[in-house]
Amino acid sequence: MSIQWPLVFFTLFVGLGCGIFVVSVALTEWCGKEKQIRSISSILAVVALGVGGMSSTMHLGHPERMFGALGHPTSGIFMESTMMFLLGLVIIVYLLALRRKASDQTCKVIATVGALLAVVLAFVNGDAYVMASIPAWNTILLPVLYVASAAVMGCFGISVLIARIENTNTTIVSTVTAAETAATMETAMTTTTAKIKRATLIALAIQAVLIIAYLMHIAGAPYPDATRSVTRVLTGNLALFFWGGLVLIGLIIPAALMKKTESFSSVTSVKLGLACVLVGGVAFRVLMFLLGSSIKQFF
Amino acid sequence: MSQRTMVVDLDRCIGCKSCEVACKQENGVVLGCTWNKVLTVGPTGTYPDIEMYYLPTMCQECKDSPCVKVCPTGASYKSEDGVVLVDKEKCIGCRYCMMACPYGVRTFNEETKVVEKCTLCAQLQAVGEEPACVKICPAKCRFVGDIDDPSSEVAKLIKNAGTDSVHVLPNVGNNPSARYILHSKTAKWKE
Repeated sequence: MSIQWPLVFFTLFVGLGCGIFVVSVALTEWCGKEKQIRSISSILAVVALGVGGMSSTMHLGHPERMFGALGHPTSGIFMESTMMFLLGLVIIVYLLALRRKASDQTCKVIATVGALLAVVLAFVNGDAYVMASIPAWNTILLPVLYVASAAVMGCFGISVLIARIENTNTTIVSTVTAAETAATMETAMTTTTAKIKRATLIALAIQAVLIIAYLMHIAGAPYPDATRSVTRVLTGNLALFFWGGLVLIGLIIPAALMKKTESFSSVTSVKLGLACVLVGGVAFRVLMFLLGSSIKQFF
Repeated sequence: MSQRTMVVDLDRCIGCKSCEVACKQENGVVLGCTWNKVLTVGPTGTYPDIEMYYLPTMCQECKDSPCVKVCPTGASYKSEDGVVLVDKEKCIGCRYCMMACPYGVRTFNEETKVVEKCTLCAQLQAVGEEPACVKICPAKCRFVGDIDDPSSEVAKLIKNAGTDSVHVLPNVGNNPSARYILHSKTAKWKE
């Protein structure tokens, strides 16, 4: 199958939005850290979902007929659209709750519902491609990989936000407040950094394991064909996407950047990490489409 | 329930591709799109034991059509006689059905931005005529009828051919209804 670029960017941005929101909720609502990023991370998540939604319409021949999908609620596209709508709605409600200074418990409940929807949406995004007609896609590993990809992008997205705040605070502290305040703030930041760093490295490790498992699935998939062989991925014309895009840029470099990060004082480092995981996300999706040949591709 | 479908006698197919041309002419299939295509399988074996056959491919009129199941708007549907059709007024051009088809026999029309496929020439059958590919075939190897009706021509052909010589494309739960007749004296069926 040829690369469906609108769908590549649709799932990439939806994954980014879901990841940012879930990681933000986990950090701010569940762990009680860095609550000042709640609004900005939620806005970024909604924007990412919006960009993803726009990308998906570019794939359609007749987007103006999209409302016809309302009558067929069992299709994958309906599920994706509904989940996106619900998640967007919950995030907007969450933003309103934050703005109206609702109680911590209320915000936490709304955010948790949103986070659950975000995980389901990331899963549904991948699950829509699981079909018996395409052996390389016919595995539960595919939607799980989409969730892992979203988690990695979310970790780096939040890291960039934290880094920006850390930088701003450092500037303020150095010019205005006392050394004691600076030390307290630094300790809090270090704890946050350690948490995000650990979560990111775990997410990257899970993604690496899933990719190996996915390759094993391709190797053992029924109706073997050269178009969807492991050889094509590892040493054939997809090797550059796999080794260069997915493994090196998508996994190794982000892991190295995160591992050497002691604090998020360097925005450049985490920004580079985010760019890398986005490239890795594109590489993974491109690989998926290029491996997506039907059992028999007659035309 | 009736299941209208196509049966192709590969023993008789000469690979002339008249069916491809007739299909294009009858249905106005645009350049770059295909509803019906004749493939060459082989040659295989070692001289002098070499064999080859032609495989006309088109929609297999699956009983559990995955293309119908995934269609978000119901544009892909099964008619009362079991033929899978596309309502072009409802199609949003998402091409999800093309992904779901195990045989890649659907095509996207870049001009109209909708998905198209073989209709078994529904417009001709509605007035009592046979599909264009069936009418044009000089070897008379293509047949259309209700495979679930034991008295139909296609059901009799399959019965007379014998189970060993009746073949079906890989089935991944879609249950294709189209059948190919190929006797081992002509060539061995390649999965």
